Amino acid sequence: MAESNVVDILAVFPDLEPAADAIEHLRSLGIHDECMNIISGIPVTEAMLGRPSQWTNVPRIAMGGAILGFLGGVFLAFVVPYMYPYPIQVGSQYPVPGPPTVVVLFELTMLGMLLSTFLGVFLDSYFPNYRPMKYVPEISDGKIAILVECSHVEEKKITDALNKLGAESVKPAEAQHL
Amino acid sequence: MADHKNHAEHAEAHLREKHLMLDPLPRGKMNEMVMESMTEKPTWKFWLVFAVLSVITAYGLFYSWGVMIAEGLGVAGVNRPAYWGIFLVNTVFWIGISHAGTFISAILRVFKAEFRRPFTRAAELMTTFGLVQAGFSIFMHMGRVWLSYWLMPYPNQRMLWPNFHSPLSWDLLAITTYLLSSTMYLFLPLIPDVAMARDRSTGWRKTFYKVLALGFRGTEGEWTHLRNAMNIFAFAIIPVMFSVHTIVSWDFAAAMRPGWNSTIFGPYFVVGALHSGMGAVIIVLAVIRSTMKHMKYFIRAEHFDAIGKLMLIISMTWAYFFFNDYMVQWYGGDKWTKQLFHFHEAGPLGWMWFAMLIFNVAIPWAILWNPKWRSTPWLVAVVGIFINIGMWFERYIIVPISLTINRMPFTWRLYEPGIEIPLGIGTLTFFILLYMAASKLIPLIPVWEVQEGQMAHELKKFGRETVVTVSELE
Repeated sequence: MAESNVVDILAVFPDLEPAADAIEHLRSLGIHDECMNIISGIPVTEAMLGRPSQWTNVPRIAMGGAILGFLGGVFLAFVVPYMYPYPIQVGSQYPVPGPPTVVVLFELTMLGMLLSTFLGVFLDSYFPNYRPMKYVPEISDGKIAILVECSHVEEKKITDALNKLGAESVKPAEAQHL
Repeated sequence: MADHKNHAEHAEAHLREKHLMLDPLPRGKMNEMVMESMTEKPTWKFWLVFAVLSVITAYGLFYSWGVMIAEGLGVAGVNRPAYWGIFLVNTVFWIGISHAGTFISAILRVFKAEFRRPFTRAAELMTTFGLVQAGFSIFMHMGRVWLSYWLMPYPNQRMLWPNFHSPLSWDLLAITTYLLSSTMYLFLPLIPDVAMARDRSTGWRKTFYKVLALGFRGTEGEWTHLRNAMNIFAFAIIPVMFSVHTIVSWDFAAAMRPGWNSTIFGPYFVVGALHSGMGAVIIVLAVIRSTMKHMKYFIRAEHFDAIGKLMLIISMTWAYFFFNDYMVQWYGGDKWTKQLFHFHEAGPLGWMWFAMLIFNVAIPWAILWNPKWRSTPWLVAVVGIFINIGMWFERYIIVPISLTINRMPFTWRLYEPGIEIPLGIGTLTFFILLYMAASKLIPLIPVWEVQEGQMAHELKKFGRETVVTVSELE
């Protein structure tokens, strides 16, 4: 599909049911799942709309952060005690005592994991993103929007189908500053 | 037959009136209500309270702190043998307050307690703002606050590293971890709500919400990443919350002092934190319900009833831990511990020990067992105030009063606070100021979570009875 021939249509539905029906119908019209995006004001699961599962890197990024945090803890607990110009003796403890080491490792592992989980959302969602985007404010009023990418040739057919399936509005999607 | 029908309809109407989750409004209407609660022009009463609190904060927190920095820690009442005074009482107190947010938002989320939905954010805000006050209190306690960066692990020219085997360094790690993670946990579920606010604002508010919303639209991908992250946070932040107050308790329990060296201090402190935290949440909810527009729709008697039950259970658990700690030390018969206990109960501040038990146990038990009283917002808020005073007394007894009695009687001297008093009041007024400002800037109700909950709830008939059912949407 040549780039210039592609149009985006934004259809806004009042509810979940007609949106799920519309997705199914679009599929029967030959629109692939990758050419559709659902935008909603509440977390609608893929199963509710009959959509393929979304991939997310957040758990992996969290795990990576946990490992980095753990390594930071290893540095503070195992390496730092030997970096002093003279050893610090705490009571009768060894230079690297067991129980305090557990505390340091735990805190830094959790810190690494939670920080990276947070950053994971930013990375996976491309946040922050202040460029113009295809969106209508009605979505945060509880409407469900389907953003369909199709060719100019199919535009009319798809617009008619979406209107027939109960869309409140169907129009070419225009990127705008949010 | 008609009677039965009328009765069923009446029961259904009653359930809908009682439960927010069964009384849905269109999302647009709820958005409008939350926006109005934030953007309505503040009344003269709001500005008066704001001005008075600002003056107290300016004097109590900033001016007094300036005086202490200029004059030195000598203007505070800490001296031998009570080197830890109100600064550390307040540190423990504010960290305790901060536990409520995580408890409500994470533990109740993990257990899918549906009543949590409208007030998770109000509780999370308390966590973040409470930790800010705890941080202030620690820095005050340091005295030479400009050297606080020495706590941070960085390679410096003198090769002086903090000793990470010391409980005070664990404090730094635990409180930093908790402050960062609770702030992130506050922010993640806030993104869809600030995006909603962005769509409905103009002027400086539009710019403010636009920046905070980060470009969120609500695509499938964005929701998936957000949901995954919130699940990870909900599970992971619970052990972090437990670790923070446990580590704070080790600041005391790891010392070989009478009254402090207790193996049960960890869970005792955690339960105490939840006790004061829940008490504070109920006060905040009662205040925002009675002062902010439309909040009576979102925060209802059912929420006070549910939190009241939790407060009662936590009060019982606190009493159990208190008695366990007291009993074992008392039975041990150590000479100095006996002296300390006598000082707690019959010393010059013995009234505080009895007040602690009355405020933390007797009053909550006397009131919260009754469902009708438990559902009365102002009454539960009064119980919350008593609990918070009682828990502050508990920390005062543990810190400076217990430090008075040691194994060297010639050093015994009662702690008399000095500049700590305005500084402590300053942290309280600053906390309230932050909350008042946040109530005008941040949607206090997570609208999308409320709508999600309302979608999941419905009434179902079993025979002649109408009952509430919840579907698992996630």
